[in-house]
Amino acid sequence: MNRFISFMERKFVPVAAKIGGQRHLVAIRDGFVAIMALILAGSTGLVLKNTLFKWIPALGGLIPICDQVWWGSLAIMTLLVVFTVSYSLAKSYEVDALAAGIVAVGSYFATLPQSYGDAGWGFVHWQYLNATGLFTGLLVALIATEIFVKLVKKDVTIKMPEGVPPAVGRAFAAVIPGMTAIFTFGILFLIINKLGGNSLYDVIYQTVQKPLQGLSQGVGSAMLAAMLINLFWSFGLHGANILDPIMNALYLPALEANAAAIQQGLAAPNVITRVFFDSYIHLGGSGATLALIIAIFIGAKKRKEYREVAKLSAPLGLFQINESVMFGLPVVLNPMLFIPFIITPGVLTLIAYLATASGLVPPTYVAIPWISPVGIGAFLATGAGSGSWRAALLAIVNLVVAIFIYLPFIKLADRQVSKKTETSSK
Amino acid sequence: MYNILLVCSGGMSTSLLVTKMEKSAKDQGIEVSIKAIGEADLKNNSENIDILLLGPQVKYILPRIKEKMESKGTIVDVINTVDYGTMNGEKVLNHAISMIQNK
Repeated sequence: MNRFISFMERKFVPVAAKIGGQRHLVAIRDGFVAIMALILAGSTGLVLKNTLFKWIPALGGLIPICDQVWWGSLAIMTLLVVFTVSYSLAKSYEVDALAAGIVAVGSYFATLPQSYGDAGWGFVHWQYLNATGLFTGLLVALIATEIFVKLVKKDVTIKMPEGVPPAVGRAFAAVIPGMTAIFTFGILFLIINKLGGNSLYDVIYQTVQKPLQGLSQGVGSAMLAAMLINLFWSFGLHGANILDPIMNALYLPALEANAAAIQQGLAAPNVITRVFFDSYIHLGGSGATLALIIAIFIGAKKRKEYREVAKLSAPLGLFQINESVMFGLPVVLNPMLFIPFIITPGVLTLIAYLATASGLVPPTYVAIPWISPVGIGAFLATGAGSGSWRAALLAIVNLVVAIFIYLPFIKLADRQVSKKTETSSK
Repeated sequence: MYNILLVCSGGMSTSLLVTKMEKSAKDQGIEVSIKAIGEADLKNNSENIDILLLGPQVKYILPRIKEKMESKGTIVDVINTVDYGTMNGEKVLNHAISMIQNK
Protein backbone atom coordinates (compact mmCIF):
# COMPACT_ATOMS: atom_id res chain seq x y z
CA MET A 1 0.00 0.00 0.00
CA ASN A 2 2.76 2.41 0.92
CA ARG A 3 4.55 1.63 -2.32
CA PHE A 4 1.36 2.21 -4.27
CA ILE A 5 0.88 5.58 -2.62
CA SER A 6 4.41 6.74 -3.29
CA PHE A 7 4.07 5.55 -6.91
CA MET A 8 0.86 7.55 -7.29
CA GLU A 9 2.46 10.58 -5.70
CA ARG A 10 5.21 10.53 -8.29
CA LYS A 11 3.07 9.75 -11.37
CA PHE A 12 -0.48 10.86 -10.69
CA VAL A 13 -0.13 14.02 -8.61
CA PRO A 14 1.90 16.09 -11.12
CA VAL A 15 -0.62 15.26 -13.86
CA ALA A 16 -3.53 16.09 -11.58
CA ALA A 17 -1.88 19.33 -10.58
CA LYS A 18 -1.45 20.23 -14.21
CA ILE A 19 -5.12 19.58 -14.94
CA GLY A 20 -6.12 21.64 -11.90
CA GLY A 21 -4.11 24.60 -13.09
CA GLN A 22 -4.98 24.35 -16.79
CA ARG A 23 -5.99 27.80 -17.97
CA HIS A 24 -9.08 26.85 -20.02
CA LEU A 25 -10.47 24.51 -17.39
CA VAL A 26 -9.94 27.18 -14.76
CA ALA A 27 -11.78 29.67 -16.97
CA ILE A 28 -14.70 27.25 -17.36
CA ARG A 29 -14.83 26.69 -13.61
CA ASP A 30 -14.72 30.40 -12.79
CA GLY A 31 -17.34 31.01 -15.47
CA PHE A 32 -19.70 28.58 -13.74
CA VAL A 33 -18.95 30.14 -10.37
CA ALA A 34 -19.95 33.53 -11.76
CA ILE A 35 -23.44 32.39 -12.81
CA MET A 36 -24.20 30.51 -9.58
CA ALA A 37 -26.27 33.37 -8.13
CA LEU A 38 -28.64 33.24 -11.10
CA ILE A 39 -28.81 29.44 -11.05
CA LEU A 40 -29.83 29.56 -7.39
CA ALA A 41 -32.37 32.31 -8.15
CA GLY A 42 -33.97 30.26 -10.92
CA SER A 43 -34.11 27.22 -8.65
CA THR A 44 -35.62 29.21 -5.80
CA GLY A 45 -38.36 30.43 -8.12
CA LEU A 46 -39.05 26.86 -9.16
CA VAL A 47 -39.29 25.66 -5.56
CA LEU A 48 -41.64 28.51 -4.60
CA LYS A 49 -43.82 27.74 -7.58
CA ASN A 50 -44.12 24.07 -6.65
CA THR A 51 -44.48 24.50 -2.89
CA LEU A 52 -45.70 27.68 -1.21
CA PHE A 53 -47.43 29.20 -4.24
CA LYS A 54 -49.10 25.88 -4.97
CA TRP A 55 -50.20 25.12 -1.42
CA ILE A 56 -51.68 28.53 -0.72
CA PRO A 57 -54.18 29.29 -3.51
CA ALA A 58 -54.18 33.01 -2.70
CA LEU A 59 -50.52 33.18 -3.73
CA GLY A 60 -51.14 31.33 -7.01
CA GLY A 61 -51.31 34.64 -8.86
CA LEU A 62 -47.62 35.19 -8.13
CA ILE A 63 -46.47 32.14 -10.11
CA PRO A 64 -45.68 34.20 -13.26
CA ILE A 65 -42.94 35.92 -11.23
CA CYS A 66 -41.24 32.56 -10.72
CA ASP A 67 -41.65 31.71 -14.39
CA GLN A 68 -40.00 34.94 -15.48
CA VAL A 69 -37.08 34.49 -13.06
CA TRP A 70 -36.58 30.99 -14.44
CA TRP A 71 -36.73 32.41 -17.99
CA GLY A 72 -34.01 34.89 -17.11
CA SER A 73 -31.70 32.43 -15.37
CA LEU A 74 -31.83 28.65 -15.89
CA ALA A 75 -33.46 28.99 -19.31
CA ILE A 76 -30.55 31.04 -20.69
CA MET A 77 -27.73 29.26 -18.90
CA THR A 78 -25.55 28.72 -21.95
CA LEU A 79 -25.81 32.34 -22.99
CA LEU A 80 -24.63 33.40 -19.53
CA VAL A 81 -21.80 30.89 -19.48
CA VAL A 82 -20.53 31.94 -22.92
CA PHE A 83 -19.98 35.43 -21.56
CA THR A 84 -18.54 34.49 -18.15
CA VAL A 85 -16.15 31.82 -19.47
CA SER A 86 -14.85 34.13 -22.17
CA TYR A 87 -14.49 36.91 -19.61
CA SER A 88 -12.54 34.69 -17.21
CA LEU A 89 -10.27 33.36 -19.93
CA ALA A 90 -9.46 36.81 -21.34
CA LYS A 91 -8.85 38.07 -17.82
CA SER A 92 -6.33 35.29 -17.21
CA TYR A 93 -4.44 36.51 -20.30
CA GLU A 94 -4.79 40.08 -19.02
CA VAL A 95 -6.59 41.15 -22.17
CA ASP A 96 -9.71 43.37 -22.19
CA ALA A 97 -12.16 40.87 -20.68
CA LEU A 98 -15.35 42.80 -21.34
CA ALA A 99 -14.55 43.13 -25.04
CA ALA A 100 -13.75 39.42 -25.26
CA GLY A 101 -16.99 38.46 -23.53
CA ILE A 102 -19.05 40.57 -25.90
CA VAL A 103 -17.26 39.11 -28.90
CA ALA A 104 -17.90 35.58 -27.61
CA VAL A 105 -21.63 36.17 -27.15
CA GLY A 106 -21.82 37.66 -30.65
CA SER A 107 -19.86 34.74 -32.06
CA TYR A 108 -22.18 32.27 -30.37
CA PHE A 109 -25.21 33.88 -31.99
CA ALA A 110 -23.36 33.84 -35.30
CA THR A 111 -23.42 30.04 -35.15
CA LEU A 112 -27.20 29.87 -34.67
CA PRO A 113 -29.82 29.57 -37.41
CA GLN A 114 -32.00 32.65 -37.91
CA SER A 115 -35.29 30.85 -38.19
CA TYR A 116 -36.90 28.05 -36.32
CA GLY A 117 -39.28 25.52 -37.87
CA ASP A 118 -42.79 26.78 -38.43
CA ALA A 119 -42.16 29.94 -36.42
CA GLY A 120 -40.43 31.40 -39.47
CA TRP A 121 -37.63 33.91 -39.67
CA GLY A 122 -36.37 35.90 -36.69
CA PHE A 123 -36.90 33.32 -33.94
CA VAL A 124 -34.18 31.85 -31.78
CA HIS A 125 -35.39 28.71 -30.04
CA TRP A 126 -34.64 28.68 -26.31
CA GLN A 127 -32.93 25.28 -26.58
CA TYR A 128 -30.01 27.18 -28.12
CA LEU A 129 -29.70 29.26 -24.96
CA ASN A 130 -30.44 26.77 -22.18
CA ALA A 131 -28.07 24.07 -20.99
CA THR A 132 -28.60 21.81 -24.02
CA GLY A 133 -26.36 24.23 -25.90
CA LEU A 134 -23.69 24.15 -23.21
CA PHE A 135 -20.98 22.21 -25.06
CA THR A 136 -21.33 24.36 -28.16
CA GLY A 137 -21.34 27.46 -26.00
CA LEU A 138 -18.18 26.49 -24.15
CA LEU A 139 -16.40 25.59 -27.37
CA VAL A 140 -17.36 28.84 -29.09
CA ALA A 141 -16.48 30.90 -26.00
CA LEU A 142 -13.02 29.33 -25.75
CA ILE A 143 -12.20 29.52 -29.47
CA ALA A 144 -13.56 33.04 -29.97
CA THR A 145 -11.62 34.25 -26.95
CA GLU A 146 -8.43 32.53 -28.11
CA ILE A 147 -8.69 34.19 -31.52
CA PHE A 148 -9.39 37.54 -29.90
CA VAL A 149 -6.59 37.27 -27.34
CA LYS A 150 -3.98 35.99 -29.83
CA LEU A 151 -4.64 38.85 -32.25
CA VAL A 152 -4.69 41.50 -29.53
CA LYS A 153 -1.38 40.18 -28.20
CA LYS A 154 0.11 40.16 -31.71
CA ASP A 155 -0.85 43.81 -31.90
CA VAL A 156 -2.92 43.39 -35.05
CA THR A 157 -4.54 46.78 -34.87
CA ILE A 158 -5.47 49.48 -37.31
CA LYS A 159 -2.53 51.85 -37.84
CA MET A 160 -3.72 55.42 -37.78
CA PRO A 161 -2.03 58.06 -39.93
CA GLU A 162 0.10 60.65 -38.13
CA GLY A 163 -1.91 63.49 -36.62
CA VAL A 164 -4.67 61.21 -35.33
CA PRO A 165 -4.62 61.27 -31.52
CA PRO A 166 -3.14 58.03 -30.13
CA ALA A 167 -6.24 57.46 -27.97
CA VAL A 168 -8.29 57.04 -31.14
CA GLY A 169 -5.95 54.30 -32.31
CA ARG A 170 -6.28 52.49 -28.99
CA ALA A 171 -10.06 52.64 -29.23
CA PHE A 172 -9.76 50.60 -32.39
CA ALA A 173 -7.46 48.01 -30.76
CA ALA A 174 -10.23 45.46 -30.38
CA VAL A 175 -11.67 45.97 -33.85
CA ILE A 176 -9.66 43.56 -35.98
CA PRO A 177 -9.42 40.80 -33.33
CA GLY A 178 -13.15 41.03 -32.61
CA MET A 179 -14.09 41.08 -36.29
CA THR A 180 -11.88 38.11 -37.05
CA ALA A 181 -13.45 36.08 -34.24
CA ILE A 182 -17.06 36.67 -35.20
CA PHE A 183 -16.38 36.31 -38.94
CA THR A 184 -14.75 32.95 -38.24
CA PHE A 185 -18.01 31.67 -36.80
CA GLY A 186 -20.05 33.24 -39.59
CA ILE A 187 -17.88 31.35 -42.09
CA LEU A 188 -18.19 28.17 -40.03
CA PHE A 189 -21.98 28.47 -40.17
CA LEU A 190 -21.87 28.69 -43.97
CA ILE A 191 -19.56 25.67 -44.24
CA ILE A 192 -21.77 23.52 -41.98
CA ASN A 193 -24.79 24.71 -43.92
CA LYS A 194 -23.27 23.81 -47.30
CA LEU A 195 -22.32 20.38 -45.96
CA GLY A 196 -25.99 19.79 -45.16
CA GLY A 197 -25.90 20.42 -41.40
CA ASN A 198 -28.28 22.75 -39.62
CA SER A 199 -25.89 24.52 -37.22
CA LEU A 200 -22.84 23.99 -35.05
CA TYR A 201 -25.20 23.43 -32.13
CA ASP A 202 -26.97 20.55 -33.85
CA VAL A 203 -23.70 18.95 -34.94
CA ILE A 204 -22.11 19.12 -31.50
CA TYR A 205 -25.27 18.23 -29.65
CA GLN A 206 -25.80 15.10 -31.72
CA THR A 207 -22.19 13.92 -31.92
CA VAL A 208 -20.70 14.99 -28.58
CA GLN A 209 -23.07 16.32 -25.95
CA LYS A 210 -25.91 13.82 -26.27
CA PRO A 211 -23.73 10.67 -26.24
CA LEU A 212 -21.60 12.03 -23.38
CA GLN A 213 -24.64 12.95 -21.35
CA GLY A 214 -26.19 9.55 -22.02
CA LEU A 215 -22.96 7.97 -20.81
CA SER A 216 -22.80 10.23 -17.77
CA GLN A 217 -26.30 9.14 -16.73
CA GLY A 218 -25.07 5.56 -16.36
CA VAL A 219 -24.61 4.47 -12.77
CA GLY A 220 -21.08 3.25 -13.54
CA SER A 221 -19.82 6.61 -14.74
CA ALA A 222 -21.45 8.41 -11.83
CA MET A 223 -19.74 6.06 -9.38
CA LEU A 224 -16.46 6.56 -11.20
CA ALA A 225 -16.82 10.35 -11.07
CA ALA A 226 -17.56 10.30 -7.35
CA MET A 227 -14.64 7.99 -6.61
CA LEU A 228 -12.27 9.97 -8.81
CA ILE A 229 -12.89 13.08 -6.72
CA ASN A 230 -11.74 11.15 -3.67
CA LEU A 231 -8.73 9.72 -5.46
CA PHE A 232 -7.53 13.29 -5.99
CA TRP A 233 -8.25 14.08 -2.35
CA SER A 234 -6.27 11.04 -1.20
CA PHE A 235 -3.20 12.84 -2.46
CA GLY A 236 -4.11 16.17 -0.92
CA LEU A 237 -5.59 17.78 -4.02
CA HIS A 238 -9.04 19.33 -3.96
CA GLY A 239 -10.73 16.78 -6.22
CA ALA A 240 -14.12 18.43 -6.30
CA ASN A 241 -12.47 21.68 -7.34
CA ILE A 242 -10.30 20.12 -10.04
CA LEU A 243 -13.15 18.10 -11.55
CA ASP A 244 -15.66 20.94 -11.21
CA PRO A 245 -15.57 22.03 -14.88
CA ILE A 246 -16.23 18.47 -16.00
CA MET A 247 -18.91 17.81 -13.40
CA ASN A 248 -20.66 21.06 -14.32
CA ALA A 249 -20.45 20.44 -18.05
CA LEU A 250 -21.98 16.96 -17.69
CA TYR A 251 -24.35 17.25 -14.77
CA LEU A 252 -25.54 20.85 -14.79
CA PRO A 253 -27.41 20.32 -18.10
CA ALA A 254 -29.02 17.23 -16.51
CA LEU A 255 -30.18 19.39 -13.60
CA GLU A 256 -31.44 22.08 -15.94
CA ALA A 257 -33.32 19.49 -18.03
CA ASN A 258 -35.02 18.20 -14.87
CA ALA A 259 -35.88 21.75 -13.82
CA ALA A 260 -37.28 22.56 -17.27
CA ALA A 261 -39.41 19.40 -17.26
CA ILE A 262 -40.82 20.16 -13.80
CA GLN A 263 -41.36 23.78 -14.83
CA GLN A 264 -43.58 22.47 -17.63
CA GLY A 265 -45.34 19.96 -15.40
CA LEU A 266 -43.60 16.90 -16.85
CA ALA A 267 -41.59 14.10 -15.19
CA ALA A 268 -37.88 14.80 -14.65
CA PRO A 269 -35.83 12.77 -17.14
CA ASN A 270 -32.49 12.43 -15.31
CA VAL A 271 -31.47 10.49 -12.21
CA ILE A 272 -28.01 11.97 -11.75
CA THR A 273 -27.61 15.73 -11.61
CA ARG A 274 -25.07 18.21 -10.30
CA VAL A 275 -26.78 18.37 -6.89
CA PHE A 276 -27.33 14.60 -6.68
CA PHE A 277 -23.71 14.32 -5.50
CA ASP A 278 -23.96 17.10 -2.91
CA SER A 279 -27.24 15.70 -1.60
CA TYR A 280 -26.44 12.01 -1.23
CA ILE A 281 -22.68 11.45 -1.63
CA HIS A 282 -20.58 14.32 -0.25
CA LEU A 283 -22.14 14.04 3.19
CA GLY A 284 -20.11 16.49 5.25
CA GLY A 285 -17.73 16.99 2.33
CA SER A 286 -16.13 14.75 -0.33
CA GLY A 287 -15.88 11.17 0.92
CA ALA A 288 -18.79 11.54 3.37
CA THR A 289 -16.33 12.65 6.03
CA LEU A 290 -19.14 13.45 8.47
CA ALA A 291 -19.57 9.68 8.66
CA LEU A 292 -15.84 9.36 9.27
CA ILE A 293 -16.10 11.84 12.16
CA ILE A 294 -18.98 9.88 13.69
CA ALA A 295 -17.07 6.62 13.20
CA ILE A 296 -14.17 8.14 15.14
CA PHE A 297 -16.45 9.12 18.01
CA ILE A 298 -17.76 5.53 18.10
CA GLY A 299 -14.64 3.54 17.34
CA ALA A 300 -11.47 5.44 18.24
CA LYS A 301 -11.02 4.80 21.94
CA LYS A 302 -7.26 5.22 22.23
CA ARG A 303 -6.44 7.59 19.45
CA LYS A 304 -6.81 10.88 21.30
CA GLU A 305 -5.52 12.89 18.33
CA TYR A 306 -8.26 11.39 16.13
CA ARG A 307 -10.91 12.44 18.63
CA GLU A 308 -9.45 15.94 18.90
CA VAL A 309 -9.53 16.44 15.13
CA ALA A 310 -13.04 14.97 14.99
CA LYS A 311 -14.22 17.40 17.67
CA LEU A 312 -12.71 20.35 15.82
CA SER A 313 -14.14 19.18 12.49
CA ALA A 314 -17.67 18.24 13.49
CA PRO A 315 -19.15 21.76 13.32
CA LEU A 316 -17.42 22.31 9.95
CA GLY A 317 -18.66 18.95 8.70
CA LEU A 318 -22.25 19.94 9.36
CA PHE A 319 -21.80 22.48 6.57
CA GLN A 320 -19.96 20.17 4.18
CA ILE A 321 -16.51 21.59 4.93
CA ASN A 322 -13.89 18.94 5.60
CA GLU A 323 -10.39 20.32 5.07
CA SER A 324 -9.61 19.95 8.76
CA VAL A 325 -10.37 16.20 8.66
CA MET A 326 -8.51 15.79 5.39
CA PHE A 327 -5.29 17.35 6.67
CA GLY A 328 -5.80 16.99 10.41
CA LEU A 329 -6.25 13.23 10.76
CA PRO A 330 -4.97 13.13 8.05
CA VAL A 331 -7.04 11.36 5.40
CA VAL A 332 -4.54 12.61 2.82
CA LEU A 333 -1.78 10.06 2.14
CA ASN A 334 -3.17 7.77 4.83
CA PRO A 335 -2.81 4.12 3.73
CA MET A 336 -5.21 2.96 6.44
CA LEU A 337 -8.09 5.17 5.30
CA PHE A 338 -7.35 5.00 1.56
CA ILE A 339 -9.66 2.04 0.90
CA PRO A 340 -12.82 3.17 2.74
CA PHE A 341 -12.30 6.71 1.51
CA ILE A 342 -12.37 5.57 -2.13
CA ILE A 343 -15.09 2.92 -1.73
CA THR A 344 -17.58 5.04 0.21
CA PRO A 345 -18.59 7.49 -2.56
CA GLY A 346 -19.00 4.59 -5.00
CA VAL A 347 -21.33 2.68 -2.66
CA LEU A 348 -23.32 5.78 -1.75
CA THR A 349 -23.76 6.69 -5.43
CA LEU A 350 -25.06 3.19 -6.15
CA ILE A 351 -27.59 3.33 -3.30
CA ALA A 352 -28.81 6.82 -4.20
CA TYR A 353 -29.03 5.85 -7.87
CA LEU A 354 -31.15 2.77 -7.17
CA ALA A 355 -33.42 4.70 -4.80
CA THR A 356 -33.97 7.51 -7.31
CA ALA A 357 -34.29 5.35 -10.43
CA SER A 358 -36.84 3.07 -8.75
CA GLY A 359 -38.92 6.10 -7.73
CA LEU A 360 -38.45 5.58 -3.99
CA VAL A 361 -37.22 9.15 -3.74
CA PRO A 362 -38.11 12.04 -6.07
CA PRO A 363 -35.50 13.21 -8.60
CA THR A 364 -33.24 16.20 -7.86
CA TYR A 365 -33.99 19.32 -9.88
CA VAL A 366 -33.15 22.28 -7.63
CA ALA A 367 -29.70 23.85 -7.40
CA ILE A 368 -28.67 24.11 -3.76
CA PRO A 369 -25.70 25.85 -2.12
CA TRP A 370 -23.06 23.18 -1.54
CA ILE A 371 -22.87 24.02 2.17
CA SER A 372 -26.42 22.69 2.78
CA PRO A 373 -26.27 20.22 5.71
CA VAL A 374 -26.92 16.49 5.29
CA GLY A 375 -30.61 15.79 4.72
CA ILE A 376 -31.58 19.43 4.33
CA GLY A 377 -29.69 19.53 1.04
CA ALA A 378 -31.51 16.46 -0.25
CA PHE A 379 -34.85 17.84 0.96
CA LEU A 380 -34.36 21.12 -0.93
CA ALA A 381 -32.74 19.55 -4.01
CA THR A 382 -35.82 17.42 -4.59
CA GLY A 383 -38.04 20.50 -4.47
CA ALA A 384 -39.13 20.46 -0.80
CA GLY A 385 -42.28 18.65 -2.00
CA SER A 386 -44.37 15.88 -0.50
CA GLY A 387 -41.81 13.14 -1.26
CA SER A 388 -38.77 15.15 -0.23
CA TRP A 389 -38.68 13.81 3.32
CA ARG A 390 -37.86 10.44 1.75
CA ALA A 391 -34.90 12.09 -0.01
CA ALA A 392 -33.73 13.48 3.33
CA LEU A 393 -34.10 10.00 4.80
CA LEU A 394 -32.02 8.54 1.97
CA ALA A 395 -29.23 11.01 2.78
CA ILE A 396 -29.31 9.84 6.40
CA VAL A 397 -29.37 6.16 5.39
CA ASN A 398 -26.33 6.84 3.22
CA LEU A 399 -24.63 8.52 6.17
CA VAL A 400 -25.21 5.41 8.31
CA VAL A 401 -23.91 3.15 5.54
CA ALA A 402 -20.78 5.29 5.31
CA ILE A 403 -20.27 5.08 9.08
CA PHE A 404 -20.32 1.29 8.81
CA ILE A 405 -17.76 1.37 6.00
CA TYR A 406 -15.38 3.59 7.97
CA LEU A 407 -15.85 1.97 11.38
CA PRO A 408 -13.78 -1.24 10.92
CA PHE A 409 -10.86 0.79 9.54
CA ILE A 410 -11.00 3.23 12.43
CA LYS A 411 -11.02 0.32 14.89
CA LEU A 412 -8.04 -1.15 13.07
CA ALA A 413 -6.16 2.13 13.34
CA ASP A 414 -7.12 2.28 16.99
CA ARG A 415 -5.80 -1.21 17.67
CA GLN A 416 -2.52 -0.38 15.92
CA VAL A 417 -1.88 2.44 18.33
CA SER A 418 -2.64 0.32 21.39
CA LYS A 419 -0.21 -2.36 20.16
CA LYS A 420 2.43 0.31 19.69
CA THR A 421 2.02 1.65 23.22
CA GLU A 422 2.11 -1.90 24.61
CA THR A 423 5.39 -2.70 22.90
CA SER A 424 6.92 0.61 23.89
CA SER A 425 5.92 0.17 27.53
CA LYS A 426 7.53 -3.28 27.72
CA MET B 1 0.25 46.45 9.87
CA TYR B 2 0.54 43.22 7.89
CA ASN B 3 -1.82 42.29 5.11
CA ILE B 4 -2.36 38.55 4.92
CA LEU B 5 -4.54 36.84 2.33
CA LEU B 6 -5.61 33.20 2.61
CA VAL B 7 -6.80 31.42 -0.52
CA CYS B 8 -8.56 28.07 -0.82
CA SER B 9 -11.15 26.79 -3.29
CA GLY B 10 -14.19 28.50 -1.84
CA GLY B 11 -12.76 30.61 0.97
CA MET B 12 -14.80 28.58 3.48
CA SER B 13 -12.34 26.46 5.43
CA THR B 14 -9.70 29.19 5.41
CA SER B 15 -12.23 31.61 6.89
CA LEU B 16 -12.24 29.56 10.10
CA LEU B 17 -8.45 29.77 10.17
CA VAL B 18 -8.77 33.55 9.80
CA THR B 19 -10.77 33.86 13.02
CA LYS B 20 -8.17 31.74 14.84
CA MET B 21 -5.31 33.81 13.44
CA GLU B 22 -7.02 37.07 14.33
CA LYS B 23 -7.51 35.86 17.88
CA SER B 24 -3.87 34.92 18.15
CA ALA B 25 -2.81 38.30 16.72
CA LYS B 26 -4.97 40.07 19.28
CA ASP B 27 -3.44 38.04 22.12
CA GLN B 28 0.04 38.89 20.91
CA GLY B 29 -0.84 42.51 20.22
CA ILE B 30 0.08 42.33 16.54
CA GLU B 31 -1.74 44.53 14.05
CA VAL B 32 -2.87 42.50 11.05
CA SER B 33 -5.52 42.45 8.40
CA ILE B 34 -6.38 38.88 7.40
CA LYS B 35 -8.83 37.88 4.73
CA ALA B 36 -9.92 34.55 3.26
CA ILE B 37 -11.18 34.25 -0.28
CA GLY B 38 -11.93 31.63 -2.90
CA GLU B 39 -9.48 31.12 -5.71
CA ALA B 40 -11.86 32.59 -8.30
CA ASP B 41 -12.06 35.81 -6.28
CA LEU B 42 -8.32 36.38 -6.30
CA LYS B 43 -8.26 38.69 -9.30
CA ASN B 44 -10.42 41.19 -7.40
CA ASN B 45 -8.36 41.05 -4.19
CA SER B 46 -4.75 40.99 -5.28
CA GLU B 47 -3.60 44.50 -4.36
CA ASN B 48 -1.36 45.45 -1.40
CA ILE B 49 -0.89 41.98 0.02
CA ASP B 50 2.25 41.22 2.06
CA ILE B 51 1.83 37.47 2.06
CA LEU B 52 -0.58 35.15 0.28
CA LEU B 53 -1.07 31.71 1.83
CA LEU B 54 -2.64 28.86 -0.12
CA GLY B 55 -4.64 26.08 1.49
CA PRO B 56 -2.72 22.83 0.89
CA GLN B 57 -5.62 21.39 -1.10
CA VAL B 58 -5.08 23.99 -3.82
CA LYS B 59 -1.28 23.89 -3.81
CA TYR B 60 -1.48 22.92 -7.48
CA ILE B 61 -2.21 26.55 -8.34
CA LEU B 62 1.03 27.68 -6.66
CA PRO B 63 3.07 28.22 -9.87
CA ARG B 64 0.28 30.28 -11.48
CA ILE B 65 -0.25 32.42 -8.37
CA LYS B 66 3.48 32.90 -7.83
CA GLU B 67 3.96 34.16 -11.36
CA LYS B 68 1.11 36.61 -10.87
CA MET B 69 1.78 37.86 -7.34
CA GLU B 70 5.52 37.91 -6.89
CA SER B 71 5.88 40.74 -9.39
CA LYS B 72 3.69 42.79 -7.05
CA GLY B 73 6.04 42.09 -4.16
CA THR B 74 3.75 39.56 -2.49
CA ILE B 75 5.24 36.48 -0.84
CA VAL B 76 3.40 33.30 -1.84
CA ASP B 77 3.46 30.17 0.28
CA VAL B 78 1.44 27.03 1.05
CA ILE B 79 0.11 26.52 4.58
CA ASN B 80 1.64 23.58 6.42
CA THR B 81 -0.85 20.68 6.18
CA VAL B 82 -0.76 19.78 9.88
CA ASP B 83 -1.24 23.39 11.01
CA TYR B 84 -4.04 23.67 8.50
CA GLY B 85 -5.76 20.45 9.52
CA THR B 86 -5.61 21.32 13.21
CA MET B 87 -6.55 24.96 12.45
CA ASN B 88 -3.55 26.19 14.42
CA GLY B 89 -4.00 29.93 13.93
CA GLU B 90 -1.04 30.91 16.07
CA LYS B 91 1.51 28.83 14.18
CA VAL B 92 0.26 29.92 10.78
CA LEU B 93 0.26 33.57 11.86
CA ASN B 94 3.75 33.49 13.35
CA HIS B 95 5.13 31.67 10.34
CA ALA B 96 3.56 34.25 8.02
CA ILE B 97 4.95 37.19 9.98
CA SER B 98 8.45 35.71 10.16
CA MET B 99 8.36 35.23 6.39
CA ILE B 100 7.42 38.87 5.86
CA GLN B 101 10.16 40.03 8.22
CA ASN B 102 12.83 37.84 6.61
CA LYS B 103 11.96 38.95 3.13
